[in-house]
Amino acid sequence: MATTSVSKKRMVRINGCVASAQAAKYADVDVIAAYPIRPYTATMMALAQMVANGELDAEYIVADSEHSQLSIAHGAASAGARVFTGSSGVGVQFAYELYSPISGSRMPVQMMIADRTLDPPGDFGSEHTDALSTRDMGWIMGWSCDAQEAFDNHLIAYRIGEDPRVLLPQMVCQDGFFVSHITGDVELPDAGQVKEFLPPYKHPYPLDPRHPVSHGPQIMPEQGPPLQLERARAMEESMAVIEQAHEEFEKIFGRKYDPWLEEFMTDDAEVVFFLQGAHAVTARFAIKHMRDKGLKVGMVRLRTIRPYPTDRVNEVLSKFKVVGVIETNMGLGSVSSGGSLYAEVCAALYESQKRPLILSFMAGMGGEAIVLKEFYWMTQKMVDAQKRGKIEKRTHWVGFEE
Amino acid sequence: MATIEVQRQILPILGSPNQGARFYNPELPSSEPFVPGHRTCAGCGPSIQYRMTSKAAGDNTILVGPTGCMYVANSSYLCTPYNVPWAHTQIGSAGSFTAGVAAAYEAMIRKGKWKGEFPNIICEAGDGSASDIGLASISGALYRNHDCLIICYDNEQYANTGIQASSRTPYGGMTTFSPPGPLVPEGKKLFPKDLARMMAAGHPHCYVATASVGYPIDLMNKVRKGLNHKGAAYLMVYTPCQKGFVYETPRSIDLGRLVVECGLYPMWEWNPEKRAYDYSFRPASMRPVSEYLKLQGRFGHLHAEHIASLQKFANEQWRMLGVQLPEALIQAADAKNLVNMASAAQAEAVAQTI
Ligand SMILES: Cc1ncc(C[n+]2csc(CCOP(=O)(O)OP(=O)(O)O)c2C)c(N)n1
Ligand code: SF4
Ligand SMILES: [Mg+2]
Repeated sequence: MATTSVSKKRMVRINGCVASAQAAKYADVDVIAAYPIRPYTATMMALAQMVANGELDAEYIVADSEHSQLSIAHGAASAGARVFTGSSGVGVQFAYELYSPISGSRMPVQMMIADRTLDPPGDFGSEHTDALSTRDMGWIMGWSCDAQEAFDNHLIAYRIGEDPRVLLPQMVCQDGFFVSHITGDVELPDAGQVKEFLPPYKHPYPLDPRHPVSHGPQIMPEQGPPLQLERARAMEESMAVIEQAHEEFEKIFGRKYDPWLEEFMTDDAEVVFFLQGAHAVTARFAIKHMRDKGLKVGMVRLRTIRPYPTDRVNEVLSKFKVVGVIETNMGLGSVSSGGSLYAEVCAALYESQKRPLILSFMAGMGGEAIVLKEFYWMTQKMVDAQKRGKIEKRTHWVGFEE
Repeated sequence: MATIEVQRQILPILGSPNQGARFYNPELPSSEPFVPGHRTCAGCGPSIQYRMTSKAAGDNTILVGPTGCMYVANSSYLCTPYNVPWAHTQIGSAGSFTAGVAAAYEAMIRKGKWKGEFPNIICEAGDGSASDIGLASISGALYRNHDCLIICYDNEQYANTGIQASSRTPYGGMTTFSPPGPLVPEGKKLFPKDLARMMAAGHPHCYVATASVGYPIDLMNKVRKGLNHKGAAYLMVYTPCQKGFVYETPRSIDLGRLVVECGLYPMWEWNPEKRAYDYSFRPASMRPVSEYLKLQGRFGHLHAEHIASLQKFANEQWRMLGVQLPEALIQAADAKNLVNMASAAQAEAVAQTI
């Protein structure tokens, strides 16, 4: 079998799925666990071809289910291998049992997610509910909004998760189709850059016959809290590592990301959108148009949702008069009867002296594009609220109201 | 970086006769990967099996333990009975977690990230894990032929959750999910899933065998054959559970023999090279099923007709092995020639002890 081959730095035009596969190749992963479900499948198709071509030396396992995919990933990471897996939609949920055991055993498994609406009905479009339903399981989690960012996020996530101060699994999410299947220019780095950025995976306590350890023994109830506390602390303490990794990334690759929030035209903004993922691309266009009309609108994009940057969200959103949360997820019967992002934004702002008004927009549901005129409509709702000094109602289903 | 060839262990087959030595055998390796320090019941068949199995494998071994008694009763945080690396996995992840470990070692050795001989990778799954909730994961691991050994320690029930019927629980077996009552006098109505044959038929490239704690050397040799086989292997081992079967604790090994002698646990090997079953194993004697049943409280409620049904089932197993049935066993399959086990009241008293 040929060994992993990575070429010199170059620009390519690829979609998000292929960008993810490329990132896994650059990370020289040892074990890949695949199971087909659209739209993330294309990542695994690309990796299968790389392995078949001898470009990547990895065990490529076609699992019998997503539950098995995640268990394979868990076993392989426990043995000391760098692991890559992924899924979409109901596939993410079929594996649900494994999310807590993997973070609890502190295995830095990496999972790529290209979002897909949950059933029913069978819908291929992107909605973030699949990954978000696992958000409290102890995985580092964030969304990218284009193929380049997807590529970069995979490398950054490995670096964070495998850091001995962290040792947590990572969900590297991208919107189905809007990122996964839309091509963009992606700079593939020089192998040397990746080598410098991402040290080889070395778990401190792998399953190695020369140093026997027992993983995951049964505990007594009183032994539970200290272990849970440690996992919670790992999540909290990862925040410094996340910041450090992004700084290091910029130094080596020259691309700068705020690890937590992207602010777009917020300097003098009074009303802002708060969202995750691909709709940020349309939002930027819409905001430019509205700026031409004199509206003081901007956007804040959440890049990392776990761990949640509570203080940053508080500090940044306190600057504005109105915040419109674009959900792209289902939180049936939740605080806002809309999505699940709203409640966390409210909680993060609770201690602020200058709380903005907060609206929840159910938009981009079922994988629908959020079109420019919907951004205009939502902006109008925010401006109206600002004028009135209070909100008309918490949640708007965009496209279902005048 | 050049790829490195994976070196694999070959373990010697013990020469001692199958049925002679019980516990002491000079050929046995001295290594003890599974030591005291666990909380299993006295006479626990699965843990006796665990010791034999891991002893046969030796120290260059990694054990995987899906949820079940061999996880819950064996491992306690800050105290472990495992002298080799061991990891818990989810009850439905027996085959998949094990496959991950095996794949990791293939890749790590090949890529020069780990140096040494490929370890024995053994999964110890209960029958609930193997025959029900983890069946697909095990089938996946066998199908893909990872170099590992998956053992089902078959105590014919979900023991750890308090004795519930699994698809391995025998016809007539009383469990808390298959209690006898006026409408269901036999308790469990279904015959067990023939999991071992299913594994052999569906994954003919694998070494597959049945074994019993009643025959330790045979069991250990089958473990070694499974480990020596390059690729996946599956072993189904009869391991009585005194808590669920309700018997006198010193009789675990006796039950391990009786179950074979009465034809309820046919012993065979599937030879993946010849693509054929090897039925040459013969117990020292053949007995009616009643001799096995009467030692266990879980069968205490059976009527003559139920015992006859079990004898019929056993006779079919003998025929499958190509054994000529003695007249006595044919007679024993007729309810007219049998008596009821016990009164319903006595059976209920036994049920209360579970
Ligand atoms: C997903 C899931 N469902 C149910 C359980 C509860 N459970 C714990 S142990 C056990 C019994 C397992 O039975 P078996 O595999 O036969 O092993 P045994 O207890 O008999 O040794 C079950 C059902 C669990 N741990 N996980
Ligand atoms: S309940 Fe049965 S299987 Fe579990 S430890 Fe006790 S004897 Fe062993
Ligand atoms: Mg069992």
